[in-house]
Amino acid sequence: MTSVGTGDRVALVSGAASGIGRACAEAMGRSGWRTAGIDLNASDTDLSLQADVSDRAAVAAAVDRVAERFGRIDLLVTAAGYYEEGIDVADITVARWDRMLAVILGGTVNCCAAVLPHMLSRGEGAIVAISSELALAGSATDLHYVAAKGAVLGLIKSLAMEVAPTAIRVNAVAPGPTDTPLLAADSLWREPDYLATLPLGRLVRPEEIASAVYYLATEGSMYCGEVLSPNAGAVI
Amino acid sequence: MTSVALITGAAQGLGRVTALRLAADGFTVAVNDVTDDGRLTELAERTGGLAVPADIADPLTGPAMVAAVTDRLGPVQVLVANAAAMAMSPFLEAKPDEWWRQIDVNLSGHFRIIQAVIPGMRALGHGRIVVISSGWGVIGHPNATAYAASKAGLIALTKGLGRELGPQGILTNAIAPSFIDTEQLRVDADDAGLTLDEMRRVYSDLIPVRRLASPEDIAAAVAFLAGPGSSAIVGQVLQPNGGVTRTRA
Repeated sequence: MTSVGTGDRVALVSGAASGIGRACAEAMGRSGWRTAGIDLNASDTDLSLQADVSDRAAVAAAVDRVAERFGRIDLLVTAAGYYEEGIDVADITVARWDRMLAVILGGTVNCCAAVLPHMLSRGEGAIVAISSELALAGSATDLHYVAAKGAVLGLIKSLAMEVAPTAIRVNAVAPGPTDTPLLAADSLWREPDYLATLPLGRLVRPEEIASAVYYLATEGSMYCGEVLSPNAGAVI
Repeated sequence: MTSVALITGAAQGLGRVTALRLAADGFTVAVNDVTDDGRLTELAERTGGLAVPADIADPLTGPAMVAAVTDRLGPVQVLVANAAAMAMSPFLEAKPDEWWRQIDVNLSGHFRIIQAVIPGMRALGHGRIVVISSGWGVIGHPNATAYAASKAGLIALTKGLGRELGPQGILTNAIAPSFIDTEQLRVDADDAGLTLDEMRRVYSDLIPVRRLASPEDIAAAVAFLAGPGSSAIVGQVLQPNGGVTRTRA
């Protein structure tokens, strides 16, 4: 996957307007890839498309535009999502649950479903889903988010197996607490007492997630259903 | 001054390819194996590095080798714990000497090498320890109990060191490959009574992606864990094995 020049390669990133998605798009762009973003907001990519990832038709239409514009999609990064913390399980309403699942799990499904045919037609590609370290070890007050991120891992492992005989690689990156706008200023994950429990003693930087994605996209052809977790030691 | 990487088990296979990759990435490489039959020297000359033959299972010569590297090149910034002894036999038929030799090299040998490199890494204020474990250390394998035990022990060592040394800026991670197309394949083929090509086919059928890893695939994982892009990764086990294990290690 690395032998070919990267000049004509195309990365599509959901959630590209901020945080981890933005860092991923920037990292690919800096490495000479052409970038497209799907986000509710405009993204600083070569092709910024505004759509709600939980809307299957809207995602399909956006992906069609990427394919029309660039003729290929080499990498899909599914980073679109949002976070809610400090909610007891009893307070997770049906609406809250449904919305979280629709965006994080549904958004990943919708992007994969729309992009996969383009990758299958060329016989190669890489999908990297952004999950969460919380999906590996659980968490107390954000159950709907953790359940959705855990479901993404099941999805990714199974999709990886389904396309394994092709040269399409499907993997996940499970970030630790990362310094993005998703973590509110008063987030529990920003508290010094919590950070002191981490072997690295600090939040993960978005660029550190992007570098893991870049590695999987460029030298990761032997990863199949892997969960790579740059998490500052939150889950070992 | 360039950064120094020490690779054990570098005479052939994955260790050799890893030394070439890290040298290409700008490291000064020190290449170790149990003896130098000319291959280590050739590799050192080719990479502009240093050949340091020593049996790491020996409690004295292993640490002395690290001291020699530090003397000649400076502190080791990246250790690739790759050397491995492997012998396959049914559990009850395994000769005790052969069983323990695998633990002595793979686990205890690297325990002492890691002890020996830590002071230099502390002096640098940072370091990377990349442990080559094995998919068999994650999910086990028949007729390979000693090898699997040593490689599983290395994973636990990696996690403990990740926690213990992470706060000092020394990041320890492991790689658990499964089937790599190297000379080691010959051992498996002999055990199974197959030719090398037959062994490749048997293994390919066991791998979801239908191909063995090349040494370059694994060396790329080492380069990632040794490089700037993995600065938030600690105590983790990377499994570039084509989907063989698909479990958290």
